Amino acid sequence: MAKAVIMPKAGITVESCIIGNWEKKVGDSVKVGDILFTYETDKASFECESTEEGTLLEIFYSDGEEVPCLVNVCAVGNPGEDCSALRPEGAPEESAPAVVVEEKPAEASAPAATLVPAIETTAVSGEKSAISPRAKKLAERAGVDASLATPTGPNGRIIERDVRTLMDNPVVASAPAQTSAPAAVAADEEYKDVKFSGIRRAISKSMHTSLSTMAQLTHNTSFDATNILAYRKQLKAAEGDLAGITLGDIVLYAVSRTLLNHPDLNAHMLDDNSIRLFKHVNLGVAVDTPRGLMVPTIFHADEMSLLEISKAVKELAAQCREGNISPDKLTGGSFTVSNLGNLGVESFTPVINPPQTGILGVCTTTDRVRKAADGALTVYPAMGLSLTYDHRAVDGSPAARFQKELCKNLENFTTLLAK
Amino acid sequence: MPKSLFVDPAETLAPGKISFKSIPVNAYNKTIKDERKRYSDVDLVRIYRDITVLREFESMLNQIKTQGLYNGIETTYPGPAHLSIGQEAAAVGQAYLLDQNDFSFGSHRSHSEILAKALSCIHKLSEQELMTIMEGFLGGSALRATEKLGPVKDVKELAIRFILYGTLSEIFARDTGFHKGMGGSMHAFFLPFGIYPNNAIVGGSAAIATGAALFKKINGKQGIVVCNSGDGSMARGPVWEAMNFAAMDQFNTLWENHKGGMPILYNVFNNSYGMGDQTRGETMGYDMLARIGSGISPTQFHAERINGFNPLAVIDAMERKLKILRAGEGPVLLDTLTYRYSGHSTSDQNAYRTKEEIDAWREIDPIITYRKGLVEAGVVADSKLEEILAETSERMTMICKAASDPTVSPYVDFKKDPAVVERLMFSNEKVEKFDDREPEVNMPLAEVPAYKKIKEKERCPIVDGKPVSKMKLYNLRDALSEVIYDRFYEDPTLIAYGEDCRDWGGAFAVYRGMMDAFPHSRLFNSPIAEAAIVGTAVGYALSGGRALVELMYADFIGCAGDEIFNQMSKWQAMSAGILKMPVVLRVSVGSKYGAQHSQDWTALCAHIPGLKVCFPATPWEAKGLMEAALKGTDPVVFFESQRIYDVGEQFHEGGVPAERYEIEFGDVNKVRDGKDVTILTLGAALYRAVDAAKQLSEKYGMEADILNIHSLVPLDYTKIVESVRKTGRVVLVSDACARGSFMNDVAKNITELCFDDLDAPPVVVGARNWITPPFEFDEFFFPQAGWIIDAIHEKLVPLPGHVAENGCTEAEAMRRAKEGV
Repeated sequence: MAKAVIMPKAGITVESCIIGNWEKKVGDSVKVGDILFTYETDKASFECESTEEGTLLEIFYSDGEEVPCLVNVCAVGNPGEDCSALRPEGAPEESAPAVVVEEKPAEASAPAATLVPAIETTAVSGEKSAISPRAKKLAERAGVDASLATPTGPNGRIIERDVRTLMDNPVVASAPAQTSAPAAVAADEEYKDVKFSGIRRAISKSMHTSLSTMAQLTHNTSFDATNILAYRKQLKAAEGDLAGITLGDIVLYAVSRTLLNHPDLNAHMLDDNSIRLFKHVNLGVAVDTPRGLMVPTIFHADEMSLLEISKAVKELAAQCREGNISPDKLTGGSFTVSNLGNLGVESFTPVINPPQTGILGVCTTTDRVRKAADGALTVYPAMGLSLTYDHRAVDGSPAARFQKELCKNLENFTTLLAK
Repeated sequence: MPKSLFVDPAETLAPGKISFKSIPVNAYNKTIKDERKRYSDVDLVRIYRDITVLREFESMLNQIKTQGLYNGIETTYPGPAHLSIGQEAAAVGQAYLLDQNDFSFGSHRSHSEILAKALSCIHKLSEQELMTIMEGFLGGSALRATEKLGPVKDVKELAIRFILYGTLSEIFARDTGFHKGMGGSMHAFFLPFGIYPNNAIVGGSAAIATGAALFKKINGKQGIVVCNSGDGSMARGPVWEAMNFAAMDQFNTLWENHKGGMPILYNVFNNSYGMGDQTRGETMGYDMLARIGSGISPTQFHAERINGFNPLAVIDAMERKLKILRAGEGPVLLDTLTYRYSGHSTSDQNAYRTKEEIDAWREIDPIITYRKGLVEAGVVADSKLEEILAETSERMTMICKAASDPTVSPYVDFKKDPAVVERLMFSNEKVEKFDDREPEVNMPLAEVPAYKKIKEKERCPIVDGKPVSKMKLYNLRDALSEVIYDRFYEDPTLIAYGEDCRDWGGAFAVYRGMMDAFPHSRLFNSPIAEAAIVGTAVGYALSGGRALVELMYADFIGCAGDEIFNQMSKWQAMSAGILKMPVVLRVSVGSKYGAQHSQDWTALCAHIPGLKVCFPATPWEAKGLMEAALKGTDPVVFFESQRIYDVGEQFHEGGVPAERYEIEFGDVNKVRDGKDVTILTLGAALYRAVDAAKQLSEKYGMEADILNIHSLVPLDYTKIVESVRKTGRVVLVSDACARGSFMNDVAKNITELCFDDLDAPPVVVGARNWITPPFEFDEFFFPQAGWIIDAIHEKLVPLPGHVAENGCTEAEAMRRAKEGV
């Protein structure tokens, strides 16, 4: 009965060998110990001695072929014997490529989706979270207050992704996680403790800083709104976007032009010793949103037409309300306008948005009486303007002069438009 | 294990006995009178003059060190002065027959040896030859300085001044020294006269000198090599390794066209002391030093014990020994008896010997006895010898004045030129071949079977969309082999050796098939003697050849510590760039072989200034770096990993190019592009980092930027900084034990270079600070992909849903450090 000679295993890690040369050919008679063929690993070559005696009946792999170890290489037996049963599967054409066996044990597959280990949330109030240099740098560049970020890094550190989260979604900072409030256990509580949202915290901090660090005071004045009311009426009758221009937009336009003559109010206080004066007017516009006050910026308002300003305000306000405004648009203002006129406020004390040096409050329009030279009394619509300014940067008279010029421009608005 | 040498059991086990020849001890018994036929009167007087020059030189140093004053010149210097006052006759006798083709190497106590050899060469060379040498040395700057010393009667005198001034200003650390003062007292030398480096490591020259002899033997260069040392070096392992290396049987049994013994003389200036210990009678057991040659070779090293207090006895012995060496029957051992009156150094209190002993030797001081002998034999009148003494003293005063005067002999100005030493650290040259002759090979490269096989392999792991089988894939081992073959056929001086390099093909088959291509003189098995392997390579390279040697396992670096850390690394700079060190030392990081065969010691090598260190982890890197290493002129420690000899090229587009190319040392290899985290890798850890990157991407949507550091020294941080600035996060992974690893150094540099861009401190993931446990526990010791992910999760950026299994809290890190584990 025909017997097979196998490819020896030349070493414990050897998976396959390449046949060098056949020393015997089919039909040759072979004895045990005769050299049948040479074979090699990647390190050495060897000679394969026959383990059987008889006639070499068939060679399954020829010179240069790669053969997995322990696989039949040839058959030896009596002439004419059938040895097809010894032919290894796949020989000769498809000599199986050696499998590259990784020598290290397979990694235990990680357990599927287990819980995120408790990520430390912002530390006790008053204690500052550590922040990575990269996160700090990013926050500074983007103009966001990194202390509002929820730290998720090792050891409660604020890392880059936390600042990005804050930038991408200023609201998320207030997210549900903050359930540590002790309230709401008993059904009939007379009060409940509510954690500030991220925005609320930002406002709280900003306003407090503003009032505690600046020398703020407010001038109240009013102007004859006849001209702008008439103009507004005219616009309302017009087609398309022009019809959407509001009294507030008109005030913004006038402010953007008037400020250019009053650089100290279109400025940032850098520290107690210096001030940054802007060449252009970047108008902050206070927007009331369900989440709180937001102040987007109309950059280079002084270069925009009334219509452009109007459209910009609408767009920014919408973004604020929807919460998808880019953080870049929430910073960079050089002066702010806050409008409470539509809520009937007759005069108020707007709080400066630091580090700006001034903020203008726009109030409602009331009827006033004016005595003419001839003693005749006339009634006219008066719109209130409340200017808060930082006395460190601007004195009372210059502030009043700004207000006066602004009133004049608004009273003669169509003339201003022509400029 | 050559098959041609049959280990015959019958012969091996046959009874018999070992017999020894007698070793002559102080056999020379002639008087000056007897020798007048052999030497002219002028020669005999010149021997005296040379002794006085040597004695005066060191007496001067002694006075400067102890009194700050020599012949009215006030000066001092802070460096060492290991003086050999008393040993001059032996040095002059040895040098008498040597010329500039004979190389001499010395020890820390070798001022007299180098001056004696210089004086001998000055005598033998013509005035024209001397001028050419002096003009050619350092562009003639040393000669210009010497000329300023004043008018001179002839070129020979000029040359004597030149050699004294160059040596002294070298000792005084002046810019005008032969090596800009960078070598100093213990490392002075002057190559044009065949005076090779002295060595501050006791016995440090033994293997280096043996390598120089190997260079002469293989490259057919004239002359022999003298390795000088003291009896204090005789117990040092590297000295024995070197002497055994020089006596290998294969030089006579196997070396085809280069049969014959090594042309080297191991000369021991035996002054009975190793610093303060007494060799004979206290610290050694040989009784008489000349005996030790009999323990190494049947030739007994042709050893003799001779009287070094008699210059003529030394010359007589040298004449006979040179004949043996030139006949190809070396090596030779001389036990040259002498005595040192001066202390080991100038702070020596002579606590270990009596005044009587010193006085007894002073009574037979050759400077007195030889002088007396000359006069008694009627060779010269004593007044003439007195004149010589005066002349010697006058010359030395002039030299000392000039060498100690900073306006004549300025120091190197580090303030003006802060990079002066920096420039000397590496030669950074490319040399195709160190000799123009045809390389000795057995067949044309294209016919070498193993080389042909490499050329036939697939260089890309995927061909036509199908993975190439392991056997047919061009792997990292092939990459190394291919370049070594190519370079062997270009540079005739290139030789390779180490343990089992030849018949075995190297323990990891990198030299597979090379024995078919190269004769024994270019590829041979060395004894298992790591110090000798590296030390001889150093000597071979600084003599003008290129050596590729291997230590098998990186763990054996310890066995060649001095040779790698003090010799291979330092000679380029200590010679002020005169010597080149084209040595590539291959070391392989093991696996599976336990605690003494698995260590990545890159940090040790990278720590030592003067070594280039690389560790390719892909075939593309291996080929380009080996090409650069084998063309450069700097010493390279070439790390390999046994885990990855079989890997194909998985990263370089198109696989490994068939054509030749070099990778610049310093570059890093970017193998994966990502924006979220940088993973820096070293060695085989690259592949685990790639695994980790895959998991990070699949499970956490995090893309890793992977850069493999294949060149540790030098290292260009540009790409690393660029990547870390981008990602803000970096993990550094290597198989070295984490404490003090090279990656810690990189991490520290990244922290400085990228601080404002970092989102977390760099994290080093290394092996534990343990012994390497058995292979079965590899995953608990070496960094795994999971460790990398855990490190990212715990120290850089928590990954949603990930639970660390191999974490290390800060408290745990503190505990481990405190425990020293």
